[in-house]
Amino acid sequence: MDAVPARGRETSPPGETVVTVEQLEVDDRELLRRLGAGDEEAFRGLFRRYGPSALALARRVARQPFLAEEIVQEAFLAVWRNPHGYEEGRGSVRTWLMGMVHHRAVDAVRREEAQRRRAEDVAGASIEEVEDLAEQVIEEVDLPRERRAVRAALGELPEEQRQVIELMYFGGLSQSTIAERLSLPLGTVKSRTLLGMRRLRTALGGLER
Amino acid sequence: MTDHERIEELLAVRALGGLEPGDAVELEREMASHGPTCAECRGLAVQLEETAGRLAFALDPSPLPLGMEDRLVALAREGAAVVPFRRGDRSSTRRRANVWRAVVGVAAAFALFAGGWALRDLTEPSTQVDPALALEGAEVVTFEGEGGNLAIAYHPGVAGVYIFGSGLAAPPEGQVYEVWMIQEDGPVPGPCLTPRADGSLFTYVHAELGTTDSMAVTVEPSSCPGAPTGEPILTADLTAL
Repeated sequence: MDAVPARGRETSPPGETVVTVEQLEVDDRELLRRLGAGDEEAFRGLFRRYGPSALALARRVARQPFLAEEIVQEAFLAVWRNPHGYEEGRGSVRTWLMGMVHHRAVDAVRREEAQRRRAEDVAGASIEEVEDLAEQVIEEVDLPRERRAVRAALGELPEEQRQVIELMYFGGLSQSTIAERLSLPLGTVKSRTLLGMRRLRTALGGLER
Repeated sequence: MTDHERIEELLAVRALGGLEPGDAVELEREMASHGPTCAECRGLAVQLEETAGRLAFALDPSPLPLGMEDRLVALAREGAAVVPFRRGDRSSTRRRANVWRAVVGVAAAFALFAGGWALRDLTEPSTQVDPALALEGAEVVTFEGEGGNLAIAYHPGVAGVYIFGSGLAAPPEGQVYEVWMIQEDGPVPGPCLTPRADGSLFTYVHAELGTTDSMAVTVEPSSCPGAPTGEPILTADLTAL
């Protein structure tokens, strides 16, 4: 991660330096502002800061390393082309960036899914492929604050809600595909998604700007 | 179900990427029924997108491959857009012609393009393109539709497409125009664009249109999705050349 101003740092577990999300957001907006003025270093800064998380997300959803790199590249080039696409009133810079990566990755998965469905019945396969992140909460003790918070929030969800949310977000599956694979009515998938997202929103609210 | 619960349910699924086309239409309809000033609708959308976006940070970051940053910056410098247009070469089977003389409808827009404002963009160091490419012997294809005047200029077989327009309405708040290259296996995303205050637009895309049959423009969220979520407002047929 690139250097950030000293203000906004807080006490954290040994060996870990944490930048508050508020300061992170201020820095991100400054990077975007500079990028809007054509500052290449700001572009590099944004990529260094969020490229690793973007690549992790793309790899998880798309499950193909080379495709994941292409997805991340496309997303960051979209930022380069249109840094003014970010609007302050619509959330944080980092989630805007991850949204662009996620949209592209899901699109890639859907294309692949459509092809695969024509070829074979793979019911159940993706459920096993999506790792349960909540189980890592106990094992991982040296994570940045945000990662710990998100994992903890996921871990506090009832199993059936977490499963649906993880299949949808990290598995790139549509709600009807999830219903089919879990042998659930579509309405149940929808209600579990809504309830889970409400819980997550409440749990993560304390870290929002 | 409360007044906003159905919207919230659909927004939650959309934020997680699980929405299907039929539900997307229903969401648009529901949102429209509440009107553009529905603060609760807007608030729910922002909160749910933010919540979903945070999930990405549950993952351990992946180390970036060696040289990826420099490759990305080089691509950005090169032309601000890299689209994998060329997936096989069918250009030799395509009938092409120089339509400079035939495209009367684009005259006004192109006169504006050649007359000064576009050249100012072309001379910006970051674009690193040759203005002569657009002005000498390029093929010009106009888009059809109600969204304004839009056209592309390019040389077949040569990477580099200029997109220029006039009289384009500003997209709704939080949205942009996204250009799509329609190919055999579906739409390939191109650049996301926002016209200037005077409705004009000019951009350069470092891409080659060898396998593109047609192009389309849709109004999309500013996140520039990888697949179109709306109907085209402008289309251009490249096979008719």
